[in-house]
Amino acid sequence: MSVQRRFTKFLGLAAVGALTVGLAACSSSGGSGDNADAGDLTTVGFVAVGPEGAWREANEKNIQETFTEDAGFELKYAPATNLDQKSQIDAFTSFVDEGVDVILLSATEASGWEDSLARAQEAEIPVILLDRGIDPDDPSLYITRIAPDNVEVASAVGDWAVEQFPDGGNYITLEGPAGVGVVNERNEGWDSAVDGSDLVEVAAQTANWSAEEGKSVTETLLKANNNNIQLIFAQNDEMGLGAAQAVEEAGLTPGVDVKIATIDGTLAAMEALADGQLSFVHEYNPLFGETALDVVNKTLAGESVESYIIVPSEAFDSAEAAQAVLADRQY
Amino acid sequence: MSNAARTNWLRELIRKPFFWGVIAIFALLALNVLKDPNYLAITVNPVNGNLVGNVIDILRASAPILMIAVGMSLVIATGGIDLSVGSVMAVSGAVAMVFMKDAGQSGSVGVALGAIGLALLVSALLGAINGVLVAYIGLQPFISTLIMMLAGRGIAKVITEGQNTSATNDPFRWIANGFVIGLPVVFLLAIAIVIVVGLVVRRSALGLMIEAIGINPKASRMAGIKPSGLLLTVYILSAVLAGVAGIMSVGTVMTVDVSRTGYQMELDAILAVVIGGTSLAGGKFSIGGAVVGALLIATLDKTIVFLGISSSATPAFKAIVIVVLCLLQSDRVRSWFVQRRKPPQLRPESLPAKPKQEVAA
Amino acid sequence: MSEALPIVEMRDISIEFPGVKALDGVDFRLFQGEVHALMGENGAGKSTLIKALTGVYKIDGGSIVVAGQERQFHGTRDAQSAGVSTVYQEVNLVTNLSIGENVMLGHEIRGAFGVNWRATHAAATEALARLGLEHLDTHKPLSTLSIAMQQLVAISRAMAIKAKVLILDEPTSSLDAAEVEGLFRVMRSLRDQGVAILFVSHFLDQIYAISDRLTILRNGRYEGEYLTRDLDRHALISKMIGKDLGALSSLGGNRRVDDRDYAAEEPLLTAKGLGRRGSIEPTDLDVHRGEVVGFAGLLGSGRTELARLLYGADRADEGEVTLHGKRVDIKSPADGLVKRIAFSTENRRDEGIIADLTVRENMILAVQAERGWARPIPRKEQDELVEKYITALNVRPSDPNRLIKNLSGGNQQKVLLGRWLATNPELLILDEPTRGIDVGAKAEIQEAVAELAESGVSVVFISSELEEVVRLSERIVVLKDHQKIGEIVNGPEITAQHVVDVIAAHGVEAAAESGIIDAEGQHDIAASHPSESSPADAHAYAATEEES
Repeated sequence: MSVQRRFTKFLGLAAVGALTVGLAACSSSGGSGDNADAGDLTTVGFVAVGPEGAWREANEKNIQETFTEDAGFELKYAPATNLDQKSQIDAFTSFVDEGVDVILLSATEASGWEDSLARAQEAEIPVILLDRGIDPDDPSLYITRIAPDNVEVASAVGDWAVEQFPDGGNYITLEGPAGVGVVNERNEGWDSAVDGSDLVEVAAQTANWSAEEGKSVTETLLKANNNNIQLIFAQNDEMGLGAAQAVEEAGLTPGVDVKIATIDGTLAAMEALADGQLSFVHEYNPLFGETALDVVNKTLAGESVESYIIVPSEAFDSAEAAQAVLADRQY
Repeated sequence: MSNAARTNWLRELIRKPFFWGVIAIFALLALNVLKDPNYLAITVNPVNGNLVGNVIDILRASAPILMIAVGMSLVIATGGIDLSVGSVMAVSGAVAMVFMKDAGQSGSVGVALGAIGLALLVSALLGAINGVLVAYIGLQPFISTLIMMLAGRGIAKVITEGQNTSATNDPFRWIANGFVIGLPVVFLLAIAIVIVVGLVVRRSALGLMIEAIGINPKASRMAGIKPSGLLLTVYILSAVLAGVAGIMSVGTVMTVDVSRTGYQMELDAILAVVIGGTSLAGGKFSIGGAVVGALLIATLDKTIVFLGISSSATPAFKAIVIVVLCLLQSDRVRSWFVQRRKPPQLRPESLPAKPKQEVAA
Repeated sequence: MSEALPIVEMRDISIEFPGVKALDGVDFRLFQGEVHALMGENGAGKSTLIKALTGVYKIDGGSIVVAGQERQFHGTRDAQSAGVSTVYQEVNLVTNLSIGENVMLGHEIRGAFGVNWRATHAAATEALARLGLEHLDTHKPLSTLSIAMQQLVAISRAMAIKAKVLILDEPTSSLDAAEVEGLFRVMRSLRDQGVAILFVSHFLDQIYAISDRLTILRNGRYEGEYLTRDLDRHALISKMIGKDLGALSSLGGNRRVDDRDYAAEEPLLTAKGLGRRGSIEPTDLDVHRGEVVGFAGLLGSGRTELARLLYGADRADEGEVTLHGKRVDIKSPADGLVKRIAFSTENRRDEGIIADLTVRENMILAVQAERGWARPIPRKEQDELVEKYITALNVRPSDPNRLIKNLSGGNQQKVLLGRWLATNPELLILDEPTRGIDVGAKAEIQEAVAELAESGVSVVFISSELEEVVRLSERIVVLKDHQKIGEIVNGPEITAQHVVDVIAAHGVEAAAESGIIDAEGQHDIAASHPSESSPADAHAYAATEEES
């Protein structure tokens, strides 16, 4: 009996082990596009986030399509396993040990990078942060951070809202998971713009970036306020799309009775904007491969760059504006 | 006399494992009524004749939890656990959405049925893998389903190529958002499925055998029960029900979010089962209890939003309600309670009360 | 030896569990420098007495004096510090730690900076050396050792804390002959160093090989203390099972006089060389229709193991079974039931009842299992079935909806009997169906067995109570040390004493291994003679010991 149990236990461990090995193999195989003739190519190690959603997909695809062999680069792509920071640190360390020419880093978590970055600095490997910052933010540890600015984007949404409702109105905020950096930044930007206006926040709830929860939360908040809500600020597209459905089911008309503003600018949101479901979509531009390429070239040539490069993002405030870009929207 | 009868009746009710779950639901509803006296009001939408109200919303929200809680209660009764239900929901939703997106034809009932059939088939397959790992390979249920929980999300991502996928199909959407005779389809469907599962389990000998295995696996084997086939059946059933929950879940917004659909739903299901009075050690189970548990969790989720409790306090609020509930269910705490307020004149009744308790059990 | 004061003296010990008196006025003495065997059947109170001595159980009456001082131990740690150490049947060590760490666990030598590992390992080596185990590398993990060596390490561990009393509870149950001899060597060396050893074993040979003195318990009572050399096997077994020779002779032979010629009939079931490594040696067996075959032997003799193979509860790894002249392969209890074999376990609580289900559910379970879950037994049929067996077996209370766990042991047993009878078995195996139940229920079950056989059902009847076996069986298969050692055709002249003789004689005759019973049930007891074989052989040692 006990032998059998022990065997079972062993099998269990073996299976987990196999799984781990399998996952590790998966994640490393993505980047190992080595070819024998890499001598005159610039090697770039990309410590990436991996599958997370449409925005991330567009962003990382864009980077991969920019740093091609034709452009003179060999890109080693290392996505995190299950958004796990440890797997990112491992990948980062092995890039340093390998002695790549440049490291691009999109950190899954902001804190805990000091040691790794110091190691890269010792090895004289420049590190460029893409999208996500680090905490504590010490610009001496990296070359630059290239990212759209959450605060700026959110305050642009706020400005639009204030302009739309000069006489004020009730609004609700659909947030991402509590405590996440992006959420805090988007709140900060929004609040700074809305402050002093006549807009009243009647509720702020998390809907965990999800359309389904966005719908469920909105449905209840509408009932809790007897449908007396004129504006919904959804911190990402998915939640906004869910909210639009809840508004419709409550017998209200999105865009007329309730205006919905979202951030990200994914294809689905653009379609909804063109359709009148959403009223305002502010892009959070994922396509900054070219900017990154430019920075890498400059850095390798010894030129200095700004320590924070903000990627410009576009705002879409009408169905027509959305229609115009819908055809060649990449994500 | 009437006083004595009433006390007995009350005692029996208190002994029902899900009694405190029912109380908690009423307490939460009362809390909402305090905030808004019209909370419980149900109105008729003049346009389409559908019932509208917070309670209706709760019933709708409870449907997916009901599905996985019922499956989970059977798995737990065998002495196992199914951690993969949330991931299976995501897979099922992903299969349905991708199928409908590729098929187009937004009005087609055929496409909707195809999507549902395919989603349930894939779910059943995942359940079968769980079942084989547990029943035939002999892995611990916790490990097997944990593997499936991790693998399931991966599979969902592969199916959708990592994208949150949307589709339009009105019949499919109707399942989650439609109304029949004024009531939400999704809730009616969930209750119908629960009743069917309950009938199958209790009218056949499946329930008896599941309990036998859960209470004493060795003795059950010696009595000639072949546990393997039974376990396989139960894990497949759990996964299929999770598949249904996935369909209901993605149907509400017609989008599958591979990283969020069904996320941590396995915990909700386990909680619902525990609130319903089924022991995690296996054995006796109560489908009625799981229903109460699922309704309580849906009520709790909705209450948090309705009361406007801030996002950061949500987990703590949920935890407190559940901890209090579990404490009330614990025999030890309950015996304190009974001892403290047991009035002396109740003593003579304690004798006739005993056999009744047996019948009830 | 006996002039000295005993190191342990337990006087008039009583322990009561709810409803049972586990120990009733038991005396026990243990002297320095002796190996003292504690004897008794299963349930006689041996382990309860040990647990009383080691502080696991609180005693309800009596006194325990250790080294001249009256003690009340609260837990094993307490007992240990008074110099009483125990090595249990299942070795209680941490296999991941090193040998040295295991020996010294909890008694590591501490220096200024925590544990001084060098000194600790040195002390471990010293403790091992006392047992002649100085060759072991104390830094190696314990898991590299065999079970037998681990047992010795466990003993070293006990010795490392300077134990004066060492309790060995069935240390030999999983050891082979050479390993047993190794253990005995260590025990003798410890005895010579003045340690008092309390030894429990179900193997009589080992008792005679190693013990100097023994105390016999029966049904929780003190039966007597003897020098081992003064008590022969017959007397020992008789005292253990509690029938003196005279009483034993008057019993037996109540079974109907049988004039069936079994040789002419085709047996219902034939087993050839049926065996399973580690539990039962290859065995031949015939069971005829309507015959009651008794399995006799002490606990651990292989009687249960053989029965389990017949039912499919365990899988045989050799031999074959023929049923109705056709070869069958019974892989599981479910297979057994399909082949119309039923098995009622000796372990009612763990392998019999489903405690939280009702009497009704427990009773129909086997029939339902055979039909499969998709074909439930209709309520009406359930009622008839349950009603029938509740009445026939006189189950009390007769309420089918009561949880079985709320019934007395005897009535639980009747419900289980009903479960098996409901499957309409051709062969019913009953393993200790009457253990631990009251006299009335016992008689009812015995009666039911006789009636069953009358109606053509074959029964294998296993019981520790030999007179019960003799009374009910037509043929008695005698087992000892995991093998069948003989078969007795029952008759009026056969008594429980005959069975005892066969069991006892087998050990004495180390050379003549096989059954020695002739057709009339007569058997000769050859004079014991010292064996010429190697001294490492425990059997041989037993023979020489008795000679001296």
